[in-house]
Amino acid sequence: MEKPSDLLLDIQHLHTGFRLKGKFYDAVDDVSLTLRKNEILAIVGESGSGKSTLASSIIGLYDQKNTRVRGDILFNELNLVGLNESLFNRIRGKEIGMIFQDPLAALNPLMRIGAQIEETLYYHTKLNEKERKTRVLELLDQVGIPDPVRISRQYPHELSGGMRQRVIIAIAIADKPSILLADEPTTALDVTIQAQILDLLKDIQDETSAGIILITHDLGVVSETADRVAVMYAGQIVEVAPVDELFTNPLHPYTRSLLESMPQTDVDDEELHVIEGTVPSLDKMMTDGCRFAPRIPWIDATSHEEEPILHEVSPGHEVRCTCYRDFYFKN
Amino acid sequence: MLFNKANKQNIKTEAGEPISLPPSGFKLVLKELLKDKFAIFSILVLVLILLFTFLGSAFVSKESLDTNILDGLMPAFSSGHFLGTDEGGKDILSLLIVGGRNSIVIGISVTAISIILGLVIGLISGYFGGVVDDIFMRIIDFIMVLPRFMIIIILTTIISNYNAFTLILLISLFSWTSSARYFRSFVLAQREREYVMASKASGSSNVAIMFREVLPNISSMIIIDVVLGIAGNIGIETGLSFLGYGLPASTPSLGTLIGYANDPVNIMSRPWVWLPAVVMLLIISYMINYVGTVFQRAADARQRR
Amino acid sequence: MWKTILRRVLVMIPQIIILSILIFFLAKMMPGDPFTGLIDPKMDVNTIAKLKQEYGLNDAPWVQYLNWVKNLFRGDLGMSYTQHMSVTSLIGDRAQNTFWLSLVTIILSYLFAIPMGIIAGRYKDKWPDQTIRIFNYITFAIPGFVAYVLALWLFGYLLNWFPTTGTVSVSVAPGIFNYILDRAHHIILPALVAALISTTTTVQYLRTGIIDNQVEDYVRTARSKGVPERVVFNKHILRNSLLPITAFIGNVIGALLGGAVMIETVFSYPGMGKLFMESISQRDYPVLTALILMFGILAIVGNLISDIVMTIVDPRIRVK
Ligand SMILES: Nc1ncnc2c1ncn2[C@@H]1O[C@H](COP(=O)(O)OP(=O)(O)OP(=O)(O)O)[C@@H](O)[C@H]1O
Ligand code: SF4
Ligand SMILES: [Mg+2]
Repeated sequence: MEKPSDLLLDIQHLHTGFRLKGKFYDAVDDVSLTLRKNEILAIVGESGSGKSTLASSIIGLYDQKNTRVRGDILFNELNLVGLNESLFNRIRGKEIGMIFQDPLAALNPLMRIGAQIEETLYYHTKLNEKERKTRVLELLDQVGIPDPVRISRQYPHELSGGMRQRVIIAIAIADKPSILLADEPTTALDVTIQAQILDLLKDIQDETSAGIILITHDLGVVSETADRVAVMYAGQIVEVAPVDELFTNPLHPYTRSLLESMPQTDVDDEELHVIEGTVPSLDKMMTDGCRFAPRIPWIDATSHEEEPILHEVSPGHEVRCTCYRDFYFKN
Repeated sequence: MLFNKANKQNIKTEAGEPISLPPSGFKLVLKELLKDKFAIFSILVLVLILLFTFLGSAFVSKESLDTNILDGLMPAFSSGHFLGTDEGGKDILSLLIVGGRNSIVIGISVTAISIILGLVIGLISGYFGGVVDDIFMRIIDFIMVLPRFMIIIILTTIISNYNAFTLILLISLFSWTSSARYFRSFVLAQREREYVMASKASGSSNVAIMFREVLPNISSMIIIDVVLGIAGNIGIETGLSFLGYGLPASTPSLGTLIGYANDPVNIMSRPWVWLPAVVMLLIISYMINYVGTVFQRAADARQRR
Repeated sequence: MWKTILRRVLVMIPQIIILSILIFFLAKMMPGDPFTGLIDPKMDVNTIAKLKQEYGLNDAPWVQYLNWVKNLFRGDLGMSYTQHMSVTSLIGDRAQNTFWLSLVTIILSYLFAIPMGIIAGRYKDKWPDQTIRIFNYITFAIPGFVAYVLALWLFGYLLNWFPTTGTVSVSVAPGIFNYILDRAHHIILPALVAALISTTTTVQYLRTGIIDNQVEDYVRTARSKGVPERVVFNKHILRNSLLPITAFIGNVIGALLGGAVMIETVFSYPGMGKLFMESISQRDYPVLTALILMFGILAIVGNLISDIVMTIVDPRIRVK
């Protein structure tokens, strides 16, 4: 198996809470995860389940005053939780790159493409101006942008959505970070472009052997790209497994319902049924017991675990609660 | 449903019936006003000023406004002349009362005319859009760059039979433009709203939609514009009168009184002639503007929801 | 970019033409004719009629208009009725004075407004923001001429800190340095007051710009690159928030010109606004016509300038 040095990120008992009306509510609630070199870890879950919050905790992008982060995010023995800003600025961009959902909004409308890529090189490399310019062109070429010289002098609004996302990726990989966080990188794009962007991400990984955390709504994307999947619900991980395992043997009722809502999957369970409702808003989220219980009220009260924990059912496959053994869906 | 962000707040109407709207802008705005202590105080003061100037004017005798050289340049607190007299012997207190009333009346009249004009043109321009909108906007842009103050002043000297009414028209000629622009922007925003679409689908006429549907929805914007407009227009009239080209000499204004300060002797040694008018104008201006900003805050809050 | 600017300049031309037509007919409505300032009262009626014929006053209005425009291009704005000099030379000096006053006012205005906007935006709803809001309310709601009168009274007459009239003292000591100092002393009070009461819009735009931009995605991108917070603020948040303000330069210039009459009257500052008031009291219509034409064109050019600045600083407009 992998050597221990492959471990890029070791997240332990991460809690990220936001202050709402004076009180902190955990949007990420006791999450433990690892990310290894050369691995694409997908995080899936409904809107509001805390995926973006998890990503911004890793890269330290949150409003310091109204956010409380506890637990550990170990990156090469360095704990990113509570790391001071100037140190963190040496990690952001350099060691961890981030790719965002809306490629237009994520680029400064008043800066040329080239300058926006160059900015990150300026802070993390010793390259001089001329070398930086050359590197910018290299990067644009690497992310598959034709005519880099021209594009580097254009402004974001002059490019198409797919092109912009390539630019964002170029920014993220500019300093060859070992970790890439991609928060719904294809949601805002056309289907055909989506596939291209995902291919690009995979190519980049082949070249750099970075570890990628891919946040997405799209289980199709997951099945095609990811190595491992973590399913989040209400700030918690309810199931984590290698991708094939998860698609063939989903155990948590929430995972199953996600798969069911995905078109053309071959989960052979005629009893599967879509679960109604949405993730409760942060201030209404439960803080003990199983957070998912209210969504499946027909389940017999005795089968709930009091405080469900993750159980390892096979190597690398963990699921919260043991209920999967006797679980059924209402029809 | 899982994974369906878009569906969350997608309320559809059957058969084109309008969706229920938030409570009328006016009520909400009024509620906000009553919550603010200083706003209530402002309104009280404004009412007092209205009473003082309008009722007071009834008690001002004609002689006290007439020129009477013998009584000229009396200091403040003289017998019979609480604030003294000007060079011509006119009683300053009487001028203050009547001038205050005149300035308020003109401010309100100009506002009424220019808001009605602005509203009609803003509605038409914003509702129909396209070429109509382009034409109106060009005209408005043009009027707005004109040196309005100077043109009004020149016109006051060449119009025959110049009087208070002509002044009202002259000021209104220029001040409807900002109202029209202001309303247009809101109407543009309303145009795409569901209730207008629904109304259109059910076959209401454009005029009916404009007045029955759109107008009530921008009612709070109208109140804001009226309130701030009055303050602004009082400022314009008093400014013109201050320079001596506003109200004709026979009709006192707060501006005429402040205009006494243009004389180095008056500004230095006879502050009671012009300072009370300054104070009254400032009170009027600040109180009205305060009420206006409270309205604005309320309307903003309503829009944010 | 050049295309956009060229198109914008072309839009300005019909505006100026309409303005000139409007002013020409306004001038026609005014009493008096080009000879009022020249002729000898003893001249007999026939001579006057002949002169009128010669000067084309009996021509069709549009011929007269074209002649007027032709003269305008030659810099000939006619003769003053009262001053026995050409309008052009009469306005010359005054225009300079107004220019300096306006320039100092604009500079001071932004010098106050930009820091205030930044502070208000950064400390939204905290005490600095609230203090600035109160200040804005006070300076916004006061009618300009009242502010000028009160400032003149307080700082000019009561405290004697500043001169109360003119651009330069009669008794100024020789030497260019003293001269400049004395002129500055005359300009500073009117400019300061005009600047203070003109900050509101700038402050508000900057404040909301900063508040809104702070949470924009591209700011987050900049942070994710490891750009230090101070640079994120200056290079991304502030720069993008200053954009709408540049669009407002035209309005600021326009407002300043509109206020010139008032400010120059109160402070007896011999600029174009004061000249306007002097001319109106003497019904010197050629001067008045020239002045409104100038002010009108300046306002139009002011708008043009802000549009051009906008095209230069905002790449999104450039390509359209
Ligand atoms: N800055 C914040 N302040 C307060 N609450 C927040 C903040 N950011 C996120 N939340 C709340 O935290 C919860 C998780 O949000 P998060 O954005 O992480 O969800 P997500 O899984 O990324 O959803 P989506 O799929 O919509 O992006 C939500 O209830 C959200 O409202
Ligand atoms: S059975 Fe287990 S997972 Fe399901 S709702 Fe109950 S506690 Fe949660
Ligand atoms: Mg998210």
